[in-house]
Parts: sequence; C-alpha cells; structure tokens
Amino acid sequence: MALGFAVGVFGVLILFHAAYSTIQYRGLLKITEEEFSGPPMNVVAELLLGLVFCIWAALTVPGKFLSIQPYSEENRIVSLPANSDFMIFNHRGKVFPLEMDVKLKH
Amino acid sequence: MVSKTEETQLSNLETQVDNGGGGAWEYLSLVRKLKVRRSDRVLKHGLSILNDPKKRSSLGPDEWTLYEQVAVAAMDCQSLDVAKDCIKVLQKKFPESKRVGRLEGMLLEAKGAWTEAEKAYSSLLEDNPLDQVIHKRRVAMAKAQGNVSVAIEWLNKYLEIFMADHDSWRELAEIYVSLQMYKQAAFCYEELILSQPMVPLYHLAYADVLYTLGGLENLQNAKKYYASTIDLTGGKNTRALFGICLCSSAIGQIAKGRNKDDKESPELQSLAATALEREYKQKASDKLSLLTAALKGLKVSS
Repeated sequence: MALGFAVGVFGVLILFHAAYSTIQYRGLLKITEEEFSGPPMNVVAELLLGLVFCIWAALTVPGKFLSIQPYSEENRIVSLPANSDFMIFNHRGKVFPLEMDVKLKH
Repeated sequence: MVSKTEETQLSNLETQVDNGGGGAWEYLSLVRKLKVRRSDRVLKHGLSILNDPKKRSSLGPDEWTLYEQVAVAAMDCQSLDVAKDCIKVLQKKFPESKRVGRLEGMLLEAKGAWTEAEKAYSSLLEDNPLDQVIHKRRVAMAKAQGNVSVAIEWLNKYLEIFMADHDSWRELAEIYVSLQMYKQAAFCYEELILSQPMVPLYHLAYADVLYTLGGLENLQNAKKYYASTIDLTGGKNTRALFGICLCSSAIGQIAKGRNKDDKESPELQSLAATALEREYKQKASDKLSLLTAALKGLKVSS
C-alpha cells in the first residue's frame, strides 16, 4: 500500500519533470530558431516510465480487485436468508423449550 | 444472500464462539447481516454479552440492536421471560417507538394471544398504514394459526402495493408449494427471477416447480433453468446436476412414445452425469456405486 503510493507519487513527479523538460526544450528551439517536430528521446522514455508507474499505482493503491464472476466463491450464493419478517413461533421449539436458566440482569 | 465465503466465515465463527474462543459480538453481527436463523446461539451468546455491564457498555448504541436481536431470538426459543425483560429495557429507552411496539406484538404472538396481537398490530397500522413489516407480521400470524388461505389473501393484497418486495414473493411461493399449487408458485418464482436474475437458487426452485408440474414443455423449460443454475454456480450445485439428469430421462420417456427424433443436446446429460460422478468420487467415494446405479436406471450415463 505504502509502496504503491510512493511509486504513484514518483510517477507523477516523473510526468511533471517530463513536462518541464519539454517546455525547456521548446524554449531552446525558439532560441536556435528550429522547428518543433517532437520531444527528444529521453523525454519520451521518461513519459513512458511515468505512465507505467502511475498505472501500477492506480491499480494497486485503491484496494484489491473483487471477482465479478457469478460462480466465484465470493459471489456464489449458497443459501437464501431466513425470511425473518415472516418468522413464526409455533414450531417444535414450543414443545422442547431450551434448557436455559440464564435471565437478563438489570 | 449468503455467499460461499460468508458461509465459511459464519461456520468458522460459530465453532470459535461455541468453544469459548471469544468473538461473540462479531458472530452476532454476522448473524444479523446474513439474516440467518440461529436463535439458540444468539440467545446464549447475546445474553452473555448483555449480562456483562462492561461488554455491554462497550457496544455503544449497538447495545439496543442487540437487545432487539436477543428479544426475537428468545421468542423463537420460547424463553418468554427473557424476551419480556429485553422489551422492557427497550421500552424504557425508546417510549412510543413503533419498532418496540412491533416487538410487543410479536411477544403476544409467541404467547399465542392471537386476538391481542392482532389488536396491537392494527393499532400500529392505524398510525402508519404502510408499515411493511407489520403487514408481514399479520400474514405470518395467519400462517401460524393455520389459516393459510387467509395468509395467501393478505400476502396477495400486500404484494399489490409492494410489488418489489422479493422476500414476500418468496414467502408466497413457498406457501403455494406447501399447498401443492405449483402453477401459482411458478408465477411467483418467475417474478423472483425477473427481479433478481443472478440468484441461482431462484432458478433452481423454479426448475423444481416446473419439473414437478410435468408435461413435455414444462420439463424442457425445467431443464433450461437447471442449466442456467449450473451456469450461475459454475457446476457446484449438486441438485441442479441431478435435475438435468432427471429431466433428460423424463423427456426421453415422453418423447419415446412419439418417436420424434429431435433429441436435443445429448451431451448435456452425459456431461451432468460425469460432473456428478466426479463430485461423488471426490467427496463421498463410498456412495459412488449408488450413484452409478441410479444414473444407469435413468439411462443418462454413457
């Protein structure tokens, strides 16, 4: 978690650095009066690295993935809840009361 | 809805609590969340928490929920004194509460004082005519007294107003099944499948009803719904696998007389039979011979 967060921050920093480098590069091009055809190779590499770090952080930091398959262990419904709103009390518990001598104390 | 992981968690907690390993409050919370009926255990462990002032006060506002839970469990176990004491405590804390009034009505029900309970519920309904739980309690009361037809009538009236209440549809379906009114039960299960299409148990129950109704068309539909149950459970529902085998065999018998040769998907039944055999081999290998004999009798195994 903490590692993922750190990597995410690092990735964002790298992206910012890439942006800064691009601006600086364009400023340099303006001075030398050349056409801007694309960012230099090291900036592209930086961008890709930052992208990978950010994706990795975004996938790990928010939490674990939950299964969406209906037959996975977390989703497979094995029994319905007791319909407790329709609970009725005249069942065999009436004839065989629970042997309990505990009382509610106040 | 209780999923497989939750079921395992519940049974683990249950053994832990029963053997005195602590975690009673977690267990009671889980029971409440999953809405399972474990009244004896809830009564025992709930009382042990409630009788311990330190544990009780550490719950904070959840204390009152626990009082309610224990009261209902006590009624279910016919420990009416405990239920009465719990309700008294709740009434002191929340005078004029509808929820406590409902508990009192349920206590009257548990005592068997039907007319008084009815009176209590109707006075509560006067204040709030759309209280769903009280309507349901009246249906349950009619059922408890044995007036199943009255219960059906009220439940139908209730469902006309609250059509999205699937618990009530399920209750109605179960009542119809108990009366062997399968056509009506099938309608209720259709409603349930429409409202919650991803619950395999409704598909399974619908298929059971259709299979019981019989007839070629119903059997074919039952087979489809058993297949959809298998689809939703990943083949881990033994009843659905058996259902496929039984349906195929019954369809085979009907179709034999009519010598139609539109035999549909013979793979399905043999696959179901294989899956059953595999499961038995894994979990109950001593009963495998019984299974193979039964499947041979149904003429589904290859």
